[in-house]
Amino acid sequence: MQPGSPWFFDPFVIPFTVGVIWLFGAILWKWGRWFVSLPAGDKALIRHNILSAKSLKALKEVVLECLIHRKIWKTNPMLGFMHMSLALGWFLLIVVGKLETSTYIQDPVNPPHVHVFFRYFFPEEPASYVRHFNYALLMDCLLIFVLCGVALAWGKRAYSRMMGMRRTTRHTPFDRIALSALWLIFPLRYIAESVTCGVHDSGSFFTGGTGDLLASAVPMGMLSALEYPAWWAYSIVLGLFFVALPYSRYMHIFTEVPLIFLRAYRLKAKPEGSSFDNFQIQACSRCGICLDPCPIAADLNINHIQAAYFLRDRRYGHLTPQVADTCLMCGRCAEACPVGIEQGTLRLSSRVAFARQTSSYNIPRYEFLTAAEDRSEGTGKVGFFAGCMTQLTPGVLRAMEKIFAAAGVDVWWADRNGGVCCGRPMRLSGNLPAAKKMQDYNTELFRKHHITTLVTGCPICYKSFTEEYGELQQTGIRVLHHTQYIAELIAGGRLKTSVVQTSYAYHDPCELRGIYAEPRYVLSHVATLTNAESREKDRVHCCGGSLANLTLDTAAQTKIGTTVVRNLLATGAETIVTSCPQCKKSLQRSAGNDRTRVVDIAEAVAEAV
Amino acid sequence: MTQERILVIGGGVAGMQAAAALREEGFEPFIIEKEKAAGGHVARWDRLFPTQLRAQEVIDRLSAGAEGIGSATGCEIVSVLPEADGVTAIAADGQRFEGRAAVVATGFDLFDARFKEEYGYGMYENVVTSAELERMFREGRVAMRSGEAPKRVAILHCVGSRDEKVGQNHCSKVCCITGIKQAIELTEAVPGVQVTNFYMDLRAFGNGYEELYRRSQVEHGVTYVRGRISEAGETLDKRIQLKVEDTLVGRPLRLTVDMLVLLVGMRAPGCCSSFGLPTQENGFFAPRDPYVETVASPVRGIYLAGTATGPKTIGETVNEALAVARRIKRDLAK
Repeated sequence: MQPGSPWFFDPFVIPFTVGVIWLFGAILWKWGRWFVSLPAGDKALIRHNILSAKSLKALKEVVLECLIHRKIWKTNPMLGFMHMSLALGWFLLIVVGKLETSTYIQDPVNPPHVHVFFRYFFPEEPASYVRHFNYALLMDCLLIFVLCGVALAWGKRAYSRMMGMRRTTRHTPFDRIALSALWLIFPLRYIAESVTCGVHDSGSFFTGGTGDLLASAVPMGMLSALEYPAWWAYSIVLGLFFVALPYSRYMHIFTEVPLIFLRAYRLKAKPEGSSFDNFQIQACSRCGICLDPCPIAADLNINHIQAAYFLRDRRYGHLTPQVADTCLMCGRCAEACPVGIEQGTLRLSSRVAFARQTSSYNIPRYEFLTAAEDRSEGTGKVGFFAGCMTQLTPGVLRAMEKIFAAAGVDVWWADRNGGVCCGRPMRLSGNLPAAKKMQDYNTELFRKHHITTLVTGCPICYKSFTEEYGELQQTGIRVLHHTQYIAELIAGGRLKTSVVQTSYAYHDPCELRGIYAEPRYVLSHVATLTNAESREKDRVHCCGGSLANLTLDTAAQTKIGTTVVRNLLATGAETIVTSCPQCKKSLQRSAGNDRTRVVDIAEAVAEAV
Repeated sequence: MTQERILVIGGGVAGMQAAAALREEGFEPFIIEKEKAAGGHVARWDRLFPTQLRAQEVIDRLSAGAEGIGSATGCEIVSVLPEADGVTAIAADGQRFEGRAAVVATGFDLFDARFKEEYGYGMYENVVTSAELERMFREGRVAMRSGEAPKRVAILHCVGSRDEKVGQNHCSKVCCITGIKQAIELTEAVPGVQVTNFYMDLRAFGNGYEELYRRSQVEHGVTYVRGRISEAGETLDKRIQLKVEDTLVGRPLRLTVDMLVLLVGMRAPGCCSSFGLPTQENGFFAPRDPYVETVASPVRGIYLAGTATGPKTIGETVNEALAVARRIKRDLAK
């Protein structure tokens, strides 16, 4: 069979060609719209950074993440291999196939279907190019590589635990079409190539070998008759996959590339939402890696609110407040996400969008804050902001008073006689204007008293001050959580502690993510710490009492906390220590009121002072 | 014919009355009490609602009824096992008690107010529980830690009751009327004292309760504010500063009192989880059914009386203690 025209046309390539045109048309249309509607600031960032080393770094990351899937390899090698064999394998099939075709026809300009269906158009072993390089052998190796990935994907669907995953994502209809097509593409390619090789007695060890086997088992007439339909089938599933791709999870294959570049140019998701969100949302492959770490899935068996489902619902426009609000924002999913999607901010911007629809969003509230009297006391350069939750756990406040006194620190007490909330609870519920009012009040209060260091007893406030209080950061005031501050006092020799005969297990609050060394340093100075060596990724499991949760009732919260308490007590500790007043309360509730005592790190230290 | 021995676990109101009634029914009851003396919580109380009868009078009458009944004190039962034709109770020290049946009259525990840390109990010296106030009444001297008589007292209802945040979702039933009673007694003990009750709902359901509620306001000038105290702080002179919302007016209040009394609720004691008997959602033992089998546990040979199955008044407890004896008589006759 010889190619009929310089374009090597045959009717069976039509489904494939239509698919490719549709695919790139849809992608360009989507990306184009998203780019055009990016905020001006984001566009300026792109212009500023595009011709810098950041682009090269992004390119490197594209290779590592989109093709090799390095992050998945790190957490789950089996899954990493599956993703890599599909992505890198397919990519190399295209590149090598193109080279093979261009070398053979000695013309670099040829339409894509020629290399995709190369074996059909050039069934005989092209002796001339075997002399240069055995492309057929390489292409066979690559096909085996990809088929391994397909086999693993089939296995994962059938039994996800084989791949170390308890849960795997449930799919939309478009996903199912695309998925079914994807699963068939490479087996069909293998069959079509093998049949052609069998008929023409050509091909390398894999397709050629299978072809020989087929030729010996199937009468030649039947094999010849099978050849053309096999190529049609291959082309049809390819076309089907390409048509479904822009509307399915496989949109991530292409979208992750601009996302990596935009992220390198310092674009970030905003609580108010922006067009950049589209890149993040459609870069989610719904791989399902975020499902298992979610405490709501693990402890409550609620399986429709996790990051993959939230992004899916948001992408297809059927997100409900229930799904957006059922989240502890503990950050486990964002930590696990191989694409690095900003799960927390995206969840927040959805809440903001829902809050905006309510009539109360723009009603002036908290106007009285501008006239609120200054209840702070003291003159020190070190400010202590207890926060609402520490006010509700006066034991922590007392302990801090004792520690400051023992270290001889002159303290300015921001809110010992009552103060204004840091605003984070309002923010987490989507009410940004109200949060902003509190933020402005507190920033002005801190500035007015000329403090140089601000210590807070609550990780919720700490997170607020360090991540959300933009103006506070400009004042140069150093913000520390009391855990960090106590660690500094001990390290600097200002605070002398003895060792108490007890054993503690430390619970890391979600909001204090990243501050792992300081509490362990402090606690190992005052008593025995039973979980000093726990692995970082296991450290954060929400206590259940997260302020970000707007839907789960107390029973559900208690259940999440019970997991934490059980794990901590399993280390053999007598007492549980944490560094968040909210965690303290929820863990105490989960521990039951009789048995285990839960204390704050400040209380543990104060006992040893 | 030897009399059949019935174990009565708990020597409070329910236990003493059940033992007395069982003896009248012809059994040989045996009381096992974990404290050194019988009497339970009521023995530690001064006067009782709604008539302000001396609690000691009730205890005396019940003790008289149970006079001569065998008992073991200072003996805490940790598990109760049904046997082929009886029941074995095992104490913490390993002692075994055998009987034809057992009445679990283990009562309740007071909620530990330290778990509502925002009220500062155990930290602020003038925050006391309702039980501690009763002790002051018994000792005849209501005073702040400094020894001075309080001029303003706040009584906070529902501490450890109807509070999901500490896992105590149930209503403890008797605290509303106790708060009313204690407010009146405060005005009697400390002339001129100003008492304010902070409540969520006032549940004056029993005979004479509503009348007492009214009298406390009309005759004793006790005030009631609907709203739960959100937090308490200690001032430099050791008084207690309260933050609360008056939810009827819809306004936040801030006031300073000399003493804060926490009306601690009833919670299921530890034995509810260690005995191995079925429990209700609130942690207390579950009766076989809550309508007509209120004094039988779902386990054969094991019976329940009093606050072991949830908050109750003394009168209700006494009724159950009488009922349980009758019920055992009927079951064992079969």
